[in-house]
Amino acid sequence: MRKTLDCTGLQCPLPVAKTSMALRRLEPGDELEVVCTDPGSLSDIPTLAEDLGHTVVSATDEGDRQVFVIRVAG
Amino acid sequence: MTIADRRPDTSLGGDPALRRYEDVTELLPSVRQPTPLVRVRRTLPEGGAEVWLKLEWLNPFGSVKDRAAAAMLEGLERRVGLGGRRIVEASSGNTAIALAALAAVRGVPVTIAIPDGVPEEKQTLLRMLGAEVWPTPDDLCPIDHPKDGAIALARSILASDPAFVTTDQYANLDNVRAHYETTGPEIWRQTEGRIRVFLAGFGTCGTITGVGRYLKERDPTIRVVGVEPEPGHRLPGLKSFAEAKEPEILDRSVVDDVVVVSDEDAYRRTLELHRREGLLVGPSTGAVVHAASVLDAPGALAVAISPDSSMKYLSWFGELVADDGNPSVFDEEER
Repeated sequence: MRKTLDCTGLQCPLPVAKTSMALRRLEPGDELEVVCTDPGSLSDIPTLAEDLGHTVVSATDEGDRQVFVIRVAG
Repeated sequence: MTIADRRPDTSLGGDPALRRYEDVTELLPSVRQPTPLVRVRRTLPEGGAEVWLKLEWLNPFGSVKDRAAAAMLEGLERRVGLGGRRIVEASSGNTAIALAALAAVRGVPVTIAIPDGVPEEKQTLLRMLGAEVWPTPDDLCPIDHPKDGAIALARSILASDPAFVTTDQYANLDNVRAHYETTGPEIWRQTEGRIRVFLAGFGTCGTITGVGRYLKERDPTIRVVGVEPEPGHRLPGLKSFAEAKEPEILDRSVVDDVVVVSDEDAYRRTLELHRREGLLVGPSTGAVVHAASVLDAPGALAVAISPDSSMKYLSWFGELVADDGNPSVFDEEER
């Protein structure tokens, strides 16, 4: 299953907190796409995902937004 | 007689003299209805200060924070109104619980960013009161404030939706006003102006600033003592300024001394207060009483704030006393 979490317009650390809660509600193997507009997320979101043992499939900086895909560890 | 048989006009009506109240908010403290002062008689060494504890856990929502929450909510209502609003606050639990209860009475939703290390009891109470709860690691936003993750999260939740308003207890002058207008005058009146030393923990610093200011205006020679935990402490509600930012509302000019207390001393004192005084106090009271025990103030009348009771920390104390109080079952066991 793939879910998208819209964190556009949100400031640090709310995207990190929301991503952390979202990851807890997913099953192993699920993918979470996180869309942010806070440049700080480029370091914060991958760090959070790796600290929690999940895999960062992609982290893309599109200039005005940042998109991450995280696979939940199983 | 069944309930259905009762006439609708038989309401008793409130009567504080009979301790009968129309609404739970009428139980909030005031100079006319102060929280009790109880002397600590058995746990402190002879020849030291005469210490009286102000039992703030006998407030309706269980802590000293009832005062700040009521004043801050009243301030918000006056300044911006509460209709259609949602309240967000960072709290280690007690402010949140009081706010959630007071907001519930008014039908206002509450969102709380709470440090994820606080006892489960507090989080459960918040959920029971209908609050939205965000358990937050202290290091959630390490670049900004290394140990203030909940404060940083509350700020970003506030910015996420214009319906949010915050009581912002670390910067809200209503927090100080609550203590300047109630706790301070209560203590002055209850001690008949004989108080010489006042002790309170450093947390949001509303209590020490508000009470300290009131007492210093009455008598500038009253000594005001702040109690601070060690870095890395486990004393909810207290802040070590070696690791956390000093709140904007702290007025250092009313603080004469600071005593730093270890977790070990605070927890040992908390158990002593249970076992020798029958006082069901929380860990921060242990810290404040320990600070009082090391003061060089022989015979001085000291008042210390007891912010909350042990009831919201039972899961923690359960670990601490798991091996105590078990009956001996073998003859050879020492009693």
